[in-house]
Amino acid sequence: MRRWLPIAVVAGIVVWVAALALLAVTAEGSQRYSQLQPWILLVNIAGVVVLLALIGGRLADFIRDWRRHVPGSRLRGRTILMFGGLAAAPLLLVFAFSVLFLTRGIDSWFHAEVRQGLTDALSLSRAALDLRMREYLDRSGAIAGGLAGLSGASLYAALDVELRRAGAEELVVTTAGGQPEGFSRAGMLHGLPGVPPDELLLQLRQGRPYVSLEPVEGGGYRITVATQIPGEPGLAAPRLLIATYPVPQRLADLATQVQAAYQEYGRLQFLREPLKLSFVLTLSLVLLTAVLAALYGALFFSQRLVQPVQDLIAGTRAVAKGDLDTQIQRPSHDEIGFLVTSFNDMTRRLARAREETERSRAAVEAERAALAVILARLTSGVISLEPDLRVRVANAAAGHILGVDFAQAAGMPLAELAARNRLLAQVHAVMQRHLESGETEWREQVTLRTDGGRRELVCASTALPGEGGAAGGLVLVFDEVTQLLQAQRQAAWGEVARRLAHEIRNPLTPIQLSAERMRRKLLRGLPPGEAELLERGTHTIVQQVEAMKQMVAAFSEYAKVPELHLSELDLAALIRQVSDLYHAQDPRVAFGLSLDPKAATLEADPGRIRQLLNNLLTNALEALDGRENPVIMIETKRAGDQIVLTVVDNGPGFQGGLMEQAFDPYVTTKPKGTGLGLAIVRRIVEEHGGRVEVDNAPQGGARIRITLPAAPREARRAEARREKA
Amino acid sequence: MRWRRPGLACLAALLCAAAGAAAQAQDQGRFEVRNAYVERANGQWLLDVRLDLALAEAARQAFDEGVPLMLELEAEASVERRFLPSATVAEIERRWQLAYDAISQRYVVTDLADGEQETYGTQADALAALAHLPAIRIADEATLPPDARFGMRVRATVEIGELPAAIKMLLFWKSWSRSTDWYAWNVRP
Repeated sequence: MRRWLPIAVVAGIVVWVAALALLAVTAEGSQRYSQLQPWILLVNIAGVVVLLALIGGRLADFIRDWRRHVPGSRLRGRTILMFGGLAAAPLLLVFAFSVLFLTRGIDSWFHAEVRQGLTDALSLSRAALDLRMREYLDRSGAIAGGLAGLSGASLYAALDVELRRAGAEELVVTTAGGQPEGFSRAGMLHGLPGVPPDELLLQLRQGRPYVSLEPVEGGGYRITVATQIPGEPGLAAPRLLIATYPVPQRLADLATQVQAAYQEYGRLQFLREPLKLSFVLTLSLVLLTAVLAALYGALFFSQRLVQPVQDLIAGTRAVAKGDLDTQIQRPSHDEIGFLVTSFNDMTRRLARAREETERSRAAVEAERAALAVILARLTSGVISLEPDLRVRVANAAAGHILGVDFAQAAGMPLAELAARNRLLAQVHAVMQRHLESGETEWREQVTLRTDGGRRELVCASTALPGEGGAAGGLVLVFDEVTQLLQAQRQAAWGEVARRLAHEIRNPLTPIQLSAERMRRKLLRGLPPGEAELLERGTHTIVQQVEAMKQMVAAFSEYAKVPELHLSELDLAALIRQVSDLYHAQDPRVAFGLSLDPKAATLEADPGRIRQLLNNLLTNALEALDGRENPVIMIETKRAGDQIVLTVVDNGPGFQGGLMEQAFDPYVTTKPKGTGLGLAIVRRIVEEHGGRVEVDNAPQGGARIRITLPAAPREARRAEARREKA
Repeated sequence: MRWRRPGLACLAALLCAAAGAAAQAQDQGRFEVRNAYVERANGQWLLDVRLDLALAEAARQAFDEGVPLMLELEAEASVERRFLPSATVAEIERRWQLAYDAISQRYVVTDLADGEQETYGTQADALAALAHLPAIRIADEATLPPDARFGMRVRATVEIGELPAAIKMLLFWKSWSRSTDWYAWNVRP
């Protein structure tokens, strides 16, 4: 269908132009195309109607676009105005001048000189013919004089002679009423002569001869002369001679041409105004058609011109919305086409750039996710800081070590966070000290002071590279090495204890045995004064050796790492049993028990937990020695999957810096203490996966808080599963 | 100028229009079929028509300028049928031309069917001749019903002749021609 449309349009235009041309021809009055006139007009009107319909459709589209502020509609409006104006202005000018020239041209046909010339020609023709008519009248009068008294055969004979002599076409003799009595004709004329016209008879009755010039069928003229035949007194009324003469061919032709010209001039004179009006109407129809065609052309070509611009605008909007797959069909190979091609190239390049950016972003995201996983898995704390020391990101270990919720801290100044957290404040102080001295790359072991004792962190700071050489911030990495140091210290002390036990225990028995043998062999043979001296000396040796054996035994206990035998333990019952034992040993000391039923059972090694309780209570009793109203409070409670055991006394508490070294071996304030009690407590707690903290109670006295997992094996299995995941 | 009473203005306009129309009707002159009849002669049906023929002013002006006048006569013979429209059994169209010959100063009436022409010294004589159209052959006697019962109607049209069709169509509002009403009668045996 679309393939045939251009052909149909071209055919329609050809038919229309032909119809307009024919209309112009027929408007001149040509009879040649008159029969086609209705069809010609119909084609023209149909063309105008089709144009109006097309224009209406396109105009409606344009107005709708204009009202909706469709991009390009303003440009299209200006283009229509420009095209339409450029086309219509000269058309209207040509129309005005054409009408002017046309009307003046038609008026010029009817100059007075032309009219006068025609009238003169007519008069001249008439004069020539009048001369001929008078001649024929005279000739007929002479013939009539010769016919007086003739009738019958003599009349016919005379008529024949006179016919030939006068050159007439017909000679007829009639009665006064017009009845033929005789006639003669030239040529092959048949039939009787006709009845003379009334006007002829009337004029002759009035006594005047009749002369008439009459047009002949098929062109030319003839002269009819009628006169009375004189000299016939016997008749009541004179007979009539009616003679018909031909007009010479040359004269007849000229007269006919003059008559035709005069008649045509008169016809044109009559048609003068209608002709002008018809020309103006024809011109108007052509003008209307041309203006409509120009308007349609303006609408059509403005659409063609603006369409690529509209496509470009739509494409630009699509690109602005992120649709980079937009491609516009190239409308032509001109500058607009070049612009469209450039736009398509641009969108393709943008699409490729976006794809590359997406890939890069995805890679960065993947790396970031991997880094986040790594950071989350790291046991070291990592805090990334902006150049202005705002927190960029921190891993879970950092929050765990420092006790800060970094999940909500992104973007917050580190100083603000440090103001809320004591541990972070100490780290921040160290970092500030390095930064103030211009150090961004540093490494330092930091000792944090907490309520539960000292914590050791190994901190390292590194500057991050920024874009364009600018500062990219800092990354602070820290590891808590408290337990590591303690383990190292414990291992060292264990080795010391084992060596002490081994090196001291061996000579102690010979010393003791030698001292007792000396006493047994020498005591009886010595004088009483010397015997008493020996007695005291050997007794002291034996007693000190015993003391040293006990100390060595304690060292051995500390150095020994027994295998745990975990089982279901009734912690409350064990606490009551141990406390009752110690209460029986020293009834002066009051024991207060606050045992949470939810913390009644524990999965632990009963022997080790008993030893833990013994050491704690021994320490407490020794601290309460000499105190009035000594009290020991033992409390258990459940905290999630943890069981917290707290032992508080009302003794002097930890003095000075002792609290920080409370769990170190051989740290004691007692004259006879080995300094291994709390060290062994911490070892047992750590063997069970718990932790121990010491501080002074608000009302005074030492407070030891032990946190143990309720089910250490399950806890270890869960941790293993998490690590595996 | 502003009309204070639009109703009166409209009435005046209507009266003027009516007066104009009446004047135009007077200018048109009388043109109608005065009488007509048919008769059988020599095995043919012949029609005789007499007209009241007075030229309208426009036609007279055109004629005086040299434009010939055309007289057209239409005649139809039809037979009535039961339950059906009438059937036209014969119809004719005849045309005559009236022209003025300026050389001979005579009025020429030409029968365009056979080219036969008559000349008259005055316009009145020429019009009188055109107003009587005798012995116009309609059809053979056998063409019409044997019982000679049929309907006849005639109509005459005077037209300012030989004007270009383009002008007639473009200036369609001008009265280039006038027609009489149909003059109808029934022919009985």
